[in-house]
Amino acid sequence: MYKHIPSGGKSRTPYHEFYSDDFTPRPHYQLLWDHIRSTGNNALEVKSHESQLALQAEGVTFTVYGDNEEGIERIWPFDLIPRIITASEWVKIESGLKQRVRALNLFLADLYGEQKIIKDGVIPPELIYQGKDFRREIIGIVPPLGIYTHISGIDIIRDEQGEFLILEDNLRTPSGVSYMIENRVIERRIMPEFFGKYRVRRVEHYPSLLLAALRSLSPRGKENAEIVVLTPGIYNSAYFEHTFLAKEMGVELAEGRDMVTINDIVYLKTTKGLQQVDVIYRRIDDDFLDPLVFRSDSALGITGVINAWRAGNVAIVNAPGSGIADDKAVYPFVPDIIRYYLGQQPILNNVPTYQMTSVKDREYVFDNMERMVVKAVSESGGYGMLMGPSSTPALRKEFMDLVLENPRNYIAQPVVYLSRHVCYMDSELEARHLDLRPFVIYGEDIEVVPGGLTRVALRKGSLVVNSSQGGGSKDTWVLAE
Amino acid sequence: MRYLIHHETILEYAEPVREHHTELRLAPRTDHQQHLVSCSLETEPEATLASYCDYFGNRVDYFCAIPPHTRLVTRLKAEVEVNRHNPFDFEPVAPHLQKQWLHEAIKREPRYNDFLLHRSLLTPPVMRLADHTARAFPRFERELPVIQSLLELMGWIPTVLEYKSGSTVVHAELINAMKQQAGVCQEFAHLFISVARSWSVPCRYVMGYLAQDSSDETENSTHAWAEALVPGGGWIGFDPVHNLLANERYIAVAVGRDSYDAAPQRGSFKGDSPGSEPVVTVQIQQVQQQ
Repeated sequence: MYKHIPSGGKSRTPYHEFYSDDFTPRPHYQLLWDHIRSTGNNALEVKSHESQLALQAEGVTFTVYGDNEEGIERIWPFDLIPRIITASEWVKIESGLKQRVRALNLFLADLYGEQKIIKDGVIPPELIYQGKDFRREIIGIVPPLGIYTHISGIDIIRDEQGEFLILEDNLRTPSGVSYMIENRVIERRIMPEFFGKYRVRRVEHYPSLLLAALRSLSPRGKENAEIVVLTPGIYNSAYFEHTFLAKEMGVELAEGRDMVTINDIVYLKTTKGLQQVDVIYRRIDDDFLDPLVFRSDSALGITGVINAWRAGNVAIVNAPGSGIADDKAVYPFVPDIIRYYLGQQPILNNVPTYQMTSVKDREYVFDNMERMVVKAVSESGGYGMLMGPSSTPALRKEFMDLVLENPRNYIAQPVVYLSRHVCYMDSELEARHLDLRPFVIYGEDIEVVPGGLTRVALRKGSLVVNSSQGGGSKDTWVLAE
Repeated sequence: MRYLIHHETILEYAEPVREHHTELRLAPRTDHQQHLVSCSLETEPEATLASYCDYFGNRVDYFCAIPPHTRLVTRLKAEVEVNRHNPFDFEPVAPHLQKQWLHEAIKREPRYNDFLLHRSLLTPPVMRLADHTARAFPRFERELPVIQSLLELMGWIPTVLEYKSGSTVVHAELINAMKQQAGVCQEFAHLFISVARSWSVPCRYVMGYLAQDSSDETENSTHAWAEALVPGGGWIGFDPVHNLLANERYIAVAVGRDSYDAAPQRGSFKGDSPGSEPVVTVQIQQVQQQ
């Protein structure tokens, strides 16, 4: 796992999505550029304002939690200049994601089955057995179709050379897909003329793809599938998305207290009595899913749901236990996981990663702390993270102590200068860093929706794109041939 | 030796509770040294029963009582055959090969990693405990058979903990027992486990029964001890309370990383009453065989 960062030779200047090196627009941005130039900044100002109003009217919001417990609901930040991905770039992303998700599902089936990958010495057992999200309670249960991660959101960045790299797998309850769709809806409404110039592939059919995948898991067959979206409730930061998806799919939105398990069958309590549930698209964490099996103090889950799942009477999406495969300490092994199960080379590479359990890696990281991102493996959303370049010596010392205290809990990566794109900021076009989260649906087949959520670091020079940390977003266009 | 076991648990609630789900780990295990001959369960209120085998190999019986009730009773009747003869009757592994033997056993069965790597407040790292006892911890002797060090450890535990009935609560933090220098079988087992794991010997918690000598019907409650993976011998039971290796009077019911995994009863219900302490009655009868 020990790889030195190439320090010389390669460019450290961030890749620009929009401009090529001589500051002319890349060919696929030329038409867009011409259009923006012909309408001028005033037109953009008006459109930008319109888009804010539209988002407000639609109620497209998200909740930010700070140090105080109370969440602040914000209008979804949207930049109206779209990000464009060419057909040939997409071919690589799509095949790379399919490969990765297929391998990660084989990995999960193995971990909760025979554990051949551990027996063969490819994955150190401590990594799994000390992982907070390894759910030994579900060993031996075979989920419908043998699939664990029906919905994945994989974060992709572009390095200084323009290569797409996988930054993070999100296999638990990845969110953001509703914003991907809302961004498209707003973009179409505000900038209809853009769409006349490009053949942009659709993303709006995501809910129907999701619904088809959920139906395919129904123990009573597709025709009779009763599906619910299980939400922790209105205080969850992604509650907007839970209501959005339930509404778009035409299925019930429910909380744990609206349901009951009787003799291994899960029911929804309705005004017409109990109604059997076949598929639960849960948007709550494993910990809270079933107080009989996981956290006994959980009031958000459905008691008995794991036994109903084991009995094969209900499908849980994503399957409990999926989180171990996106544990950041497992991440460095994903290329090996792909080779082990598929016998193929990874199509999309990882960001080079140092394991803090390795003394050699750790010493190297400590010596180069200002060039590193240090991440707590169990945190997400940009929390529990050290950004080396902007850190103080005191903070670096604090992180070194944290790492030494619990090395299994940390990884480090060299700072990758995320690619940049023009954004319309305060009446000017400015460059900002961004990433991409495409969504993968695994039902009877694996499908990657052509597009994704492009997240933008709104602060100049910032590399943190998380919405919870003040990130913005763009509509993401994947071009047809 | 064959035993007939009756285990009754009564839970009472001041206010009615409903949607009451219960999981029981009460049916004696089937493993290389004992096997469950028969088992039946009755509940009040009546409920549909189901069972599965959990990941530690324990049988779990479960049911739900949906309508409101103020009393939940379970009565388990089980017959079990125990063949735990001489625990020393195995081909020992030469001391310099013991480490390799354990390594290979764990490699074949990765799930044993849990019994090696697990740390919790119930089975904390030994370093956390060392400050709370004046007596030196026993040393692991690499040059001797592993079982020697484990026997040493078993004998050491009663010198740092006094057995005092009612001195701790269920799933208590081990450090509290160390501070008060007293505990019950649960703490004796947890301490044994913590030290054995610090020696890289896989070790697990066993909840079960200790049948009394006389073949008469006697009153019993559950007991707890530890099982360690001994090179050449496999899982061998150590009871630090009695300073005794588990023999055919030890009836294993459930195993786990600590007492929490092997808890005999787990429940979740809707209602405002927390419920009484469970009233448990156990009878163990030796069955004469032809």
